[in-house]
Amino acid sequence: MSLYDPERDRVRIAGRWLRWSLVWFAVPALLGVFISANVDLRSLPVFGPERISAVLFPDGQAYFGHLDDSGESGTLVLRDVYYFKNSQGGVTGVPVGLVRRGTEAHEPADGMRINRDRILAVERVGGGSAVAQAIEVERQLIHASPTNVSLNRTTVAGPAALTAQRIAAEHDIARAWTAAVEQLRKLNDLVLPVSKAEAQAITEKALGDLRTVRRNALAALASQVGMSAADADAYVRATDPLLEGQSFANEPGVLLAPDLDAIVTRATQLYAQVGDAAAKQLTQPKATPTPSPRP
Amino acid sequence: MRWVIENRRRIRNLGISLLVFVAALFVTQWWDLTIPSVGRAQYQAVFLANGQTYFGRYYDRIGAYAKIEDVYYLQEVNGTDPDAASATRIVRRGFELHEPVARMLIPKSTILFVEDLTDSSPIAQFMQRDSR
Repeated sequence: MSLYDPERDRVRIAGRWLRWSLVWFAVPALLGVFISANVDLRSLPVFGPERISAVLFPDGQAYFGHLDDSGESGTLVLRDVYYFKNSQGGVTGVPVGLVRRGTEAHEPADGMRINRDRILAVERVGGGSAVAQAIEVERQLIHASPTNVSLNRTTVAGPAALTAQRIAAEHDIARAWTAAVEQLRKLNDLVLPVSKAEAQAITEKALGDLRTVRRNALAALASQVGMSAADADAYVRATDPLLEGQSFANEPGVLLAPDLDAIVTRATQLYAQVGDAAAKQLTQPKATPTPSPRP
Repeated sequence: MRWVIENRRRIRNLGISLLVFVAALFVTQWWDLTIPSVGRAQYQAVFLANGQTYFGRYYDRIGAYAKIEDVYYLQEVNGTDPDAASATRIVRRGFELHEPVARMLIPKSTILFVEDLTDSSPIAQFMQRDSR
């Protein structure tokens, strides 16, 4: 009779434990580590605050939006995308303006797939930052609905933030107006080839046009923030005189929501056009009729 | 009930596996996928492919990204005199328009090299003073 009991064989017991550990312990642990490394758990359904990411590129460009960096594909997906445009020398007091991706000539659909090898860094945008506030106001302007349960909750600005941005836009329009009027005044200080009376008439006409541009910009602002036609009219009539003569020169710059920024940019362009037209009239002598040779 | 009794061993194993899986998932996330390093300096300089250099506490991570915490960078400041040489100052990241949080993820493919800063490094000393 053999004394060997396979159930008590230490080698067999160790083998059994090893197999058990491999199947029920090591495999799930490795699977957990692998999934954790490849799935962005912060983009899974949660009830937390919104997480806006900044994707920075080597050339200095930055894109902001909801980042999905899951998977091994080497591509990350950014949704609800915003980016900076250069606004150096503009009236907003901020060297950049914010643009909503999708409004370009080729009207790209939402969902920007970015090659991970081509990005410089990824950062989380601060919740109370100027960028986050401008994005939240823009969502209010385009009537985006807030979501409470989603992959990444979308926050929409409240009335207070919207009002703050509207006022900042009004002040930008006033600043641009002041710059245009100042340019006209400087032109009038020069020795002009037109008479004083003509110069005054041209200047008065230009000032009237500039006021029209300002009123139209305020009307566009009212329409953009969702006022009715009657409310917009009352708003323009009440606000326009308040901006007259105000420069708001020492106010800190505010990064505007893209749609409000577009109104300010358009108004600034029109001010410049009016100013250029007036400058042309003021600096060009009136053509005198050439005497016709006598028959 | 009978099925449960008959398969209790399998159910126990499945439960253990599930626990191990969830624990691995969360421990890795909690650890921020950071690979522990021993005997390194407090601050590092991270040189990137585009010529940019970031200073901070650098952590190698499992996955595509490395992490820098408490990030600083050098900024050239031009004075009013166009003929004068521009000065360089060190700036703490976080005061930009998007006010980024202190954690920055950088794809490993964009990193040229990483260096430890010595304790006597003026940049390390500045960061140490600034973090207090």
